[in-house]
Amino acid sequence: MAGHDGGSQHQFTGIAKYFNSYTLTGRRNCVLATYASLVAIALFFKLKPKKKPAVTEK
Amino acid sequence: MMLNYFDQFASPIFLGVPLIALALTLPWLLFPTPSTRWLSNRLTSTQGMFISTFTQQLLLPVNKGGHKWALILISLMIFLVSLNMLGLMPYTFTPTTQLSMNLGLATPLWLATVIMGLHNQPTHALSHLLPEGTPTFLIPILIIIETISLIIRPLALGVRLTANLTAGHLLIQLIATAALVLLPLMPTVAFFTMILLFFLTLLEIAVAMIQAYVFVLLLSLYLQENI
Repeated sequence: MAGHDGGSQHQFTGIAKYFNSYTLTGRRNCVLATYASLVAIALFFKLKPKKKPAVTEK
Repeated sequence: MMLNYFDQFASPIFLGVPLIALALTLPWLLFPTPSTRWLSNRLTSTQGMFISTFTQQLLLPVNKGGHKWALILISLMIFLVSLNMLGLMPYTFTPTTQLSMNLGLATPLWLATVIMGLHNQPTHALSHLLPEGTPTFLIPILIIIETISLIIRPLALGVRLTANLTAGHLLIQLIATAALVLLPLMPTVAFFTMILLFFLTLLEIAVAMIQAYVFVLLLSLYLQENI
């Protein structure tokens, strides 16, 4: 299997420069972004205000 | 008291004393220690040759920084091989059939490799969770899968050793019981069952050594990734 990719043969522009699956830093950033997204989703559902049922006059 | 086939795996306690401690320390007494003389005897020299050859082979793919793990990996290998082999003798207890013990060996060592990787080279360690050249739409799901496979490693290490040894011991006991029961009823079938038992015992000797080797080899691979 090939060793680490120094990224010299890939010329990325834009967001692909930081998030790609070829360079070491690109892969690291993808991993961190995925973890951050999962934590954000978990926090969103945890902190979401629960809907209280409407109080009706009896 | 009704005996079942799983009683052989119960941790032995005699007069309140847990004998597992004896089972764990006894193999140490079986290996000769080098003397203070300039030249060792043939047994010690042979032992030393095997250990040094095995160490070289095991640590060949590992970087120089990982060579400090040589002592712990080799002693773990000798420990597991001796426990597994001694457990194949009749009426002995095999400590490596205890999942708690195997997880206790696997989890700290695996965790040490992960912590070392994250501490010394965090970019490299994190980039291992995404294979090179993954298509963009597969990136998140593959990262989750690789994370799960990373976390499941110590469980796999422990359960692999436990399951292999437990299954082997159970099979030996079952086939031996079958041979014993069949002997007065159908001696010819009992004879073939005994031949099967002989080959199974040979297989279990191989499995005992191979499983210990696989345990240590996988740990060295995890170390190689993180050092």
